[in-house]
Amino acid sequence: MVTFWRIIKLSFLQQLTYRTAMLAGLVTNFFWGLFRAAVVMALLSSQGSVNGLDLPGALTFIVVGQAMLAFMNIFGSYELMTSVYTGSIAADLVRPVPLFFLWMGKDLGRSVVNLLGRGVLLVAVYAFFFPIQTPKSGLGWLAALGSLLLGWLLCFAWRFLVNLAAFWTPDARGVGRAAFIASQLLSGFILPLRMYPDWFVQFSQYTPFPGMFNTSMEVYLGLLNGEALLSALAQQAAWLAVLVLACYAVLRLGLRKLVIQGG
Amino acid sequence: MRRTLGLYLRLISIQLRSQMQFRFSFWLDVLTTGLLNVSYFFSTYLVLQRFGNIAGWTIPEVAFLYGMIEVAFGTMDMVFSGFDPDFFSVFIRQGTLDQVLLRPMSVAAQIFGSSFVLRRIGRIGQGAAVLIYALVTLDIHWTPAKVVYLPVVLLSQVLAMGALFMVGSTLVFWTVQRVEAINVVTYGGVEVMSYPATIFPTWLRGFFTYIFPFIFLNYYPALYFLDRPDPLGFPVWAPFFALPAALLMLLAAWRFWTFGLSKYQSTGT
Repeated sequence: MVTFWRIIKLSFLQQLTYRTAMLAGLVTNFFWGLFRAAVVMALLSSQGSVNGLDLPGALTFIVVGQAMLAFMNIFGSYELMTSVYTGSIAADLVRPVPLFFLWMGKDLGRSVVNLLGRGVLLVAVYAFFFPIQTPKSGLGWLAALGSLLLGWLLCFAWRFLVNLAAFWTPDARGVGRAAFIASQLLSGFILPLRMYPDWFVQFSQYTPFPGMFNTSMEVYLGLLNGEALLSALAQQAAWLAVLVLACYAVLRLGLRKLVIQGG
Repeated sequence: MRRTLGLYLRLISIQLRSQMQFRFSFWLDVLTTGLLNVSYFFSTYLVLQRFGNIAGWTIPEVAFLYGMIEVAFGTMDMVFSGFDPDFFSVFIRQGTLDQVLLRPMSVAAQIFGSSFVLRRIGRIGQGAAVLIYALVTLDIHWTPAKVVYLPVVLLSQVLAMGALFMVGSTLVFWTVQRVEAINVVTYGGVEVMSYPATIFPTWLRGFFTYIFPFIFLNYYPALYFLDRPDPLGFPVWAPFFALPAALLMLLAAWRFWTFGLSKYQSTGT
């Protein structure tokens, strides 16, 4: 546990070094959010609301989502893959922390920097342009934060699982790219799931992806209450369990195949 | 001029040969980049199924906007690969530009020849597929003028976006690191141009009309091809301003590039 904290702290400090790069990325992030918000505004301004999602809610969804982009690492990452190819995974495997938690710690430290540095700042700037909604009660905040944490864990487990493809193919980037497109689309990151046709929403419910993003945003906006809220959180937790088990099972199979070449 | 062109083609053919060494992984890459790009359109397509239209534009009409700019940007991204700021910043950092400057040949031709990312045909292919879908579905009243003008618009888009890559690379002369903010007008420009211009707030639309004249590159030509009325009340020549706008951008970019090059002071590597 102490080691886990140390890993988080170290990766936090490491990420903190790249402050200028972070600020530079912010400009692009900011404009991209404006473009996406314009699309949502054009779609919803004639209709009023769709499936209980109204214009201010949808704008908040997009804008807060844009701010969470770096925190959630929605576009995916290929680092674990690279460590398999370079062989540096050998050193990671002898460390006294399980590989899964080692990478979780690394990712978490970075994500926290991105949340504080990029996320909060972006939301603050967007607040000048859009009426950003917030949860209405303390309990609402608690549920939203809990759901966001579960969403982050789901995103991480998915990234980890996808990267494990590196054990089986010499270039798993293609696999990764395809997998991260699927998660972007089905997690409702591109546009809120409530805006898609019903059959697509139903289909997405059979996958772990809505829990990575859409669920957290719906909880944040207060669109889910009472039983629906509990069931949404339970689904996130259940999918998390499934993905973590899958990560462990696939990792074990992969390690059996792994050959580290000397050097 | 002839010699430069010959050398350029020679450089490109070397590029192509090396990229085609691993045929399977090459085509897989083409396929995945194509699918990656088309998934964004797919998302718009699904959402428009529920909403019917965006700012009065139907799915095939939006597909026309999207297909045009995707084909053009994909082509540009292939031909101007050498000027891609991501690529060019490495070029500068590793001191490769110093070698280029020493050779008795046009610097621009060498940079054009330094990279030619063939797998961009994945992006071009998906854009072409969407564009063909639009052309087949839409009942466009074709006239000889329209038939001639369509490739001109595509060419203008290629040149205009290429100019932006050139500007992005020129900035690297001073910053060494690539400037991420240029993505707002390059990749962001593509995003903006794949939707009807009226969906953007006035200030943003002004920015993409008077500072970066994107509105004349895709939106206005589309109004002409699709016989749509102009809701913004621009002069009647607005749909035909694509090529002049592109040439102006290219000229400005070229000036900036030569100025930047004259100020270049190696990184010492």
